[in-house]
Order: sequence, then C-alpha cells, then structure tokens
Amino acid sequence: MEAVYIIVNLLVFLGLAPLFEGIIRKITAKVQSRQGPPIYQPYMDIFKLLGKTTINSADNWGFKFAPMMAFASIVSVIAFFPLANKANYLTQYADIITIIYLLTLGGIAVLLGALSSKNTYAMIGASREMITMIMVEPVLAMTLIMGAVKMKSLGIDITMFSINSVGYGWSVALMLVVYLAALQAFVGRPPFDISEAEIEILEGPFIEYSGPNYALFKYYMMLKQMFYAALFVMVFIPFLNTGIYIVNLAVQIVEIGVVFGFISLIGSTNARLRIDQAIKFYSVLIVLALCAVGLSVYGI
Amino acid sequence: MWLTSKVKQVLMVIKPGVVTLKYPFEPHPAPENFRGRPHWDHHKCVGCGACSNHCSARCILVRDTCQELRIMLYDGSRCTYCGRCADVCPEKAITMSQEFENATGDREDITERIELFMLTCQRCGRCYDMENTNALERLDLRGYRYDSLEARALIRKTTEHFDPNVLKETEKYQRPTKL
Amino acid sequence: MKALEQLKDTLKSKFGGNIIKFESPLEDRLFVDVKKEGVKGVCKELFTQGGRYLVGIGYDNTKRDNTLGMIHTFAFDKDSTVICVRAWVPENDPVMDSITPDVPNAGWSEREYMDLLGMKFTGHPKPKRLVLSDDWPEGIHPLRKEVPYNLVPPPAENVAYQMDECPEGCSVVPVGPFHPSLHEPNHWSIFVDGETIKGCDYRGFMTHRGIEKLCTTQVSYNEVPFIAERICGICGSVHATAYAQCVEMVADLKISRRAEFIRTIMLEIERLHSHLLWLGVAGHLIGFDTVFMQSWRIREDIMWLCEKWTGNRKTYGMIVVGGVRRDITPELKDDMLRVLKKVEEECIVVHKAIIGDTTIHKRTKGVGYMTHEEAVQWSIVGPPARARGVDIDVRRDHPYAAYDAVKFDVPVVDTNDVWGTVVVRILEIFEAIKIVRQALDQLPEGKIITEMDDVIQSQRHAISHVEAPRGESVHYVISGDENRADRWRVRAPTYPNLQGVPTMLLNDQFADFPIILGSIDPCFSCTDRVQVVDIKSGKVNVMNQRDLERMSRRA
Repeated sequence: MEAVYIIVNLLVFLGLAPLFEGIIRKITAKVQSRQGPPIYQPYMDIFKLLGKTTINSADNWGFKFAPMMAFASIVSVIAFFPLANKANYLTQYADIITIIYLLTLGGIAVLLGALSSKNTYAMIGASREMITMIMVEPVLAMTLIMGAVKMKSLGIDITMFSINSVGYGWSVALMLVVYLAALQAFVGRPPFDISEAEIEILEGPFIEYSGPNYALFKYYMMLKQMFYAALFVMVFIPFLNTGIYIVNLAVQIVEIGVVFGFISLIGSTNARLRIDQAIKFYSVLIVLALCAVGLSVYGI
Repeated sequence: MWLTSKVKQVLMVIKPGVVTLKYPFEPHPAPENFRGRPHWDHHKCVGCGACSNHCSARCILVRDTCQELRIMLYDGSRCTYCGRCADVCPEKAITMSQEFENATGDREDITERIELFMLTCQRCGRCYDMENTNALERLDLRGYRYDSLEARALIRKTTEHFDPNVLKETEKYQRPTKL
Repeated sequence: MKALEQLKDTLKSKFGGNIIKFESPLEDRLFVDVKKEGVKGVCKELFTQGGRYLVGIGYDNTKRDNTLGMIHTFAFDKDSTVICVRAWVPENDPVMDSITPDVPNAGWSEREYMDLLGMKFTGHPKPKRLVLSDDWPEGIHPLRKEVPYNLVPPPAENVAYQMDECPEGCSVVPVGPFHPSLHEPNHWSIFVDGETIKGCDYRGFMTHRGIEKLCTTQVSYNEVPFIAERICGICGSVHATAYAQCVEMVADLKISRRAEFIRTIMLEIERLHSHLLWLGVAGHLIGFDTVFMQSWRIREDIMWLCEKWTGNRKTYGMIVVGGVRRDITPELKDDMLRVLKKVEEECIVVHKAIIGDTTIHKRTKGVGYMTHEEAVQWSIVGPPARARGVDIDVRRDHPYAAYDAVKFDVPVVDTNDVWGTVVVRILEIFEAIKIVRQALDQLPEGKIITEMDDVIQSQRHAISHVEAPRGESVHYVISGDENRADRWRVRAPTYPNLQGVPTMLLNDQFADFPIILGSIDPCFSCTDRVQVVDIKSGKVNVMNQRDLERMSRRA
C-alpha cells in the first residue's frame, strides 16, 4: 500500500513542476508590467521540445547520456521524498546521504553534458556551475545534517521532521535564514543564475542542447526547483500537519506555491551577480550553516 | 537596506499595472498622422512623376509604354514609408494611410499600379506647373527616372532621361516565373 | 575669436613653411591647408594644445588634380571652434605620415582610408584591414571615384581576418559575430585568464551598407536625410540634422528660427527615448530584466507621442535640408507637455530606485575603469566621457539649432566607471525634459521650411557636429556637381568610443564584458556605414510565403 505514495509523489512533482515554473513566469511578468505567457506555457515548451529532432551536436556518449542522468537522479530523489509528511515504501531504504548524493549527481550530469559539448561558453558555464555546486551544496547538507544531529539518525523522514519533535531553536532559525538566502542559488534564479547567464554565456551549460535532450534538462531544472521549495516547506514549516494525507498534500502544495512566489519576486528585483561576488556570499552562508549545525550539537 | 529597497521596487511596479496590449488579438489603430502604406488616387494623379523623383528608396517607378499610356508602379517591398511622395504630390493624389500590417507572402499584395492616359500638350509638352518653388524640389535631379518595371532592379542607376538602350534591354527581359 | 588667432600664429611660427593657407568660411570653422610633410607636426601641435580629435576624412580628388585628400579635424571645445587640417597626396604615391602614434583615436580613420582609398600611412601601429570584408580583393579601393557603386567582386574562399595573437597563459573567448549581448554583428576575441580579461581584438564593420558611396553617386542632396536617418535606428534625427546642417553651411542657407526650435525638440525627444532605451538595455545586460521592462514602459509614451507627431515611432523623417517637415500644433504642444510630465514623474521614481539598488551598484561600480587622462587621450565622447570627468557637450560648446536659446546643465561625474555613465544618462533625461519645455515655451512663429535660391556651388567644405544621445556625431560634406555631394563622411559616436573599449575592458571580469561594452551604448550599424553593398551573388531570389514555409518545415 505504501508504494502508492511513491506514485503520488512522482505524479505531483512531474505534474506540477511546470505549473510552478509558469507561476514564476507569470509573477515575473506582472512585476515587469507585462501580460506574460499563459500559466501553462512551460508544459507547452516541454511538449514542443520533446517533439523535435534530437541533434547530437557533440557526437559522444556523455552528451547523450547527461540529460537522462540528470532527469533520472532528480526523479529518484523525488521517489524517496516523504511528501505530505508521509514516509513511503522507499524512504526507509535510503538516508539523507543518498539524497545529497543523488542531488549532486544531477549537478554532475549537467557538468558532464556541458564538458562533453566542447563549447567555450559551455565550459565557462560548467566552471561556474561547478563553483556554485561546491559552494551551495554544503548548505543543503548542513540543513539535513542539523536534523540528523538533533534526532541522532540519518533516516530521511526522521531528519526532515526533526522540528516536529524538537521544535524551533536558534539553530533552526539561523538555518532557515541561511536556506532562504541560498534558495535562489539552489534553484538557479537571479541573482544567482550565474552559470546560465544568458547575456554573456548564452545559457552556459545548455548551449549545445536542443530538442528532447534539452526538454529533459528543462524538466530537471523545474523538478529541482520544486524539490528545493518542497524541502523548505517540509523541514521548516512542519506545523500545518493535520494527519490526513490528502489535506497535508494540498496544504504543502499551496505552501510550495508561496515559496515560488517569493522566489520569483526576489528573482525579478535583482541583477545577476558576478561569480566572484557570489562566492563571497556563499562562503558567508557556509560559515553560518556550520554555526547552525554547531549550535544544534549543543541542543540550542 | 537591501530588503527595503526590494520591497519598494515591488510596490513601485504595482502602480502602473499591466501595460502590454493584447495586440494582435485586439487591433491597435494607428494615429491619424501615421505614415502607413501610401495609396494613390488615380482620379487625381496627373502622372507628373514627382513622387518617383523624390522617392529615396526608389520604389515608385514610372514608364511610358507608348505615347499615351504611362504606368506608375509603387513597389511596397522596399518602401521606407518616409511619406515624401505624399508631401511633394502637387495634386494631393497620394495619402499615407493608417495601414501598418503590411507583411505579406506575395509581393503583389503591396504593389499598386496605375495606368494613366496621357495627353501631350500641343503647345509646350508640359501638362502642369513645372516651376520649382520649393527648396526641396529645387534640390532634386531634373526629370523623372525612367524605369524598367519588370526588372525592378534593387538599386537602379539614375538615368536622368529616356535612354533607348535601357528600353531595348528591358523589352527582352523575361519576367521570372513564380517559384 | 582671440584664441583662434593665437592658434593661427602658433601654427604659422612653428610650421610656417608647410602651411599653404588658412580659410575661415564661418567664424567658428578654420580650414588649414597643409603640405603633406607638415601634417604630423600640425596635428600633434593641435592635439597637445587641447584639440579633441574628431575624425579623418579621406576623399578622392583624382579627377581634379590627381590627388587624394586627407583631412584631420580637431574640436576646441572651450573656444567653440573646429579646425580642419587639409592635406593632399599624389594619387600615384599616396603616402602620408601617420598621426596615430600621437593621436591614438586617429587609428581607425587612417585604417579606413588604407582600405577605401588605398592611401598609406607610415608609422601606423596597426595597419590591419578595418572596413573591407575579408574576401575583398586587394587593390580595389571602393571610395575611389572610378569604382562603380554596385561593384560586386567575386567572393573568395579561405580568407579570414587574422585576430591578434593571444597573450601567453590566456585563452580566447570568441564573442560574436552573433551574440545576444552585442545586438548587432561584430566580432571580439576576448583573451581571458580564468575569468579576467587580459586583452581583446575587434573585427567589426560587418554590416557595411555603402551609404556614403551610394549617397555620393546615386541620390540627390535632399534624399540623403532619409538615408542618413537610417544609419542608426536610435539616433536617426541626429544624423539627418548633422547632414542637413552641413548642406545648409555649404549652401549658405539660414533656416527659419521655428525650424531650428523644432529640430531641437526633435533631438531632445530622441535623446529622452534613447536614454530610457539604454537604461533598459543596461538592466538587461546585468541580468536585471525588471529595469529593462519598466524603463521601456516609460519610453513607450514617448514613442506614441512621436508616432502622433511625426507619423512613426522611429525614423521620424522630420528633417530635410532647409528645415523640418511637420509643424508643432497647439494641441500637440499640450500633448507633449502632458507626456513629459508623466515621463518626468516616472523617471524620478526610477532614478530613486536605481540609485538605491545595491545589486546594480555591485555590478557597475568600479567596472570598466578608465581614467580621465585616458578618456581625453582616446577622445572619448558623450556620456562615457562625461562619466570620466571630461566636461564636453556639443550642445553647450558648439551650439547649433536652438540650443543657444535654452538653459541646461551638463551632468559630469568622475567615477570613471560604468556606474558614472548610468548616473549621467539618468540626469540627462531630466535635462532633456527641461530643454523641450523651454523650447516649447519659446517656440517662435514662422515657416518651417526655408527656400533656397541658388544651386549649391561645387567643392565647398563644411563640418557639422551634433550631440547624439550616445555622444557626438560628426558629418563632413564636400559639395559636388549634379546636385549631390562629392564626399560625405559620417562619424558616429561609437567610432571613437569603441576604440577606447579595450582600455576599459582590461583586468575586468568576463561577466562584465556585456555591460562595459553596453556602457558606451554601442551602435555598430552607425559605425559600419561605409562600404559597398556586398551581395554574394548578384541574383536576387524572391521567395514567397510557400517557399519559406517549405524551407522551415524541412529544417
């Protein structure tokens, strides 16, 4: 029976990720005094891209393989994910290390695709992506580790719902701020869309991609940003737990929508930073995240 | 500091609201003075060729097929809509309309062609006031340009007066069949 | 004109033997005819005296006295004068001293005439091809009078421009010929060490339309304003005005005061929309699309106003030799004042928001650094110069049209970076609004077109410059026979500014390349105006909708 929740997980994520992307685009458009594209536009984009011919411009296996790898890694993360505060059949077989590993694997797949496309701009994009990954993944790891430290367990559902059991403390508050600050970098939105900077390096890592391969990458990015928003909701706003699965699910989807609203407002009111400026920012975040973990060790 | 400026920015953009139009789903008429696609009134046109003379894009072509018949042809595919033709027309036969949706797959859609029956004045050969009173007209080359209507060369050579060689060339010219 | 007399005396005493004569058709213009041996010395002297290099004009005079002419022009902004140094070289031995080692900004002008007229400049530091396309055959110089305007030499294979060698330890990032941050085709090789720019090479002039050749062989005086206007999509009226002023100078035509005022209003409205456009583009270049959309929203009101007034959103077609084409009616005046009020209010809000925005500060402060001295050395013009403390503005220093009747400030800052250009441009928006209001207020009665009595005499020289939104546009006209100019030279503001960009780029991050290049508000089509239209095969294939659809489906 618990296997049903895996399917619900996948359906919710795969079905709603483009919708949230559409919400971001609509809100951004409103901030920019535009009508904006219809909210279902991302579905159409993916659908259209999937219908195009695959052009394997780099002609090597890495280039072909990377989009699938990225997509597969994020889908597996979602499969483990205890959406609506309900651990599913697979959750018990994985721990937070698996989640961090799989998320990093997605990033590695992007790097692989970029590096095997042998394009100068993709190389610059890849190096920026790598720096971003190295600098912001620790924040994600610390968030989960903090829960693990508090609960003395690496189990996914146990760490994620740590706040439910131990409540808010200074460490959680600090971590919440850090996570919010890093959120834009997690989801690759301004001011931290540095690795895709359209203006100077033309979508960076994805420059050589088109058609279904690009659709997979696009879908991967949408799923990834929805995952990070959901993780925030799950870890930091657990108090709306009613106990009924369907209600929980609905509440969390609404909460994710609110987080997306926040993301799009920040995204549309900031200029893109340079990589050197971003590094400075990230390093502050890492230090703060370390502090939060340190505090949690002392039970604060 | 950072946060307040961002909040201010968001509040700032709420005031104008959405300003983009639903065009092309809703029409957006051009103002009265608009320099849209020019139209020729063949009742008013006297065939003086002033428009052809002043057309800086050279898309108004004139040709006499015989002594009595003059063809004026406006080829909108290169028109820059400067409106000089309407300015200089002595009979006000040219009006700049409000049409701006001129993209088309067929060149003939934006071509206007009028055939005028010309009479030669028995006394002087001129049918209308040729005196240049305006500085603009004074600055122009004399005589209308003789054109090969079929060839519609990209940029024509300014042959100031009737050149029999050009006529010979263009008479043999085969119009390219449609692709 | 005491300063001018002084300068004359200095030149006479220093280079007496090489100077043929002085000529001053207007009190603020001085033409100095110099023997070719004296050019280098005279130019160096003028440059050290504080002359700002404008442009070099080469022309073919073979038919008259078998010579090729070269004119170097300098502006003395404090004295409101322009000095043109004219020299000639025999057509069979067109060698002249290069002035580029002393006046770096002359580099492109000289390279241009190596290509177009086949002149040679000894001592030029970088005598590479500038204007002509890579496969243009050697020995054909398209600005020579014997070369027909529609010459299409056969295309050649396997020829490419050799970019400069990449310095040791750096790698090359190619930018262009098509790149989203450039908007127009041109090619940069950026030499980067990591993400830091260590040097660059530029290959431009890819959109040559042969306008100068076309206009000196095919069309008449009064068709040119419409073509001049199409040199640039943004500052069209500037080019048309500068050209018209040149022709009015050679024809000794004084246009009516009302026409001058209307020209002023036209130019300022153009500046207004151009600056708002630039602000938007700059926002886009640093990844801040909301600035882009909002400033273009404000700009839209101006565009609609122009549509109502001139009949089009851009390429207004307002300016002709002798005056302007459309008058300002009282209703239009009210409309204009209403729009200006709205734009001003909105701009104040945007100004506040941008001045206080920390991310914009981060991306623009200290970026594109160039010192005041370098800016003077490279003869940078317009807002990039005013952001580096160079206090020049043609509207104030060499008043034309009705600028002598209006009061305005010239904003100058000395931050020496991109941020300075942002500030200068925003402040200029307010100044432009001020100028339009004053001009509307004082608008005199009168006709808008002045008639001309005589034909224009041949072989008269005139130079006129107009402050475009992005700097100073210089036009030079030598009148000719057959009712058209013998030589017409256009120098757009991007021409000198682009030569200074390598200095600005040095030691900045690659991510800043778009905004640094953007800070000069580059207009490549303005810069690339000279060459002959180059169509690969002479045949013109007309495609209809069906063909295009078929082609796009196949792809």
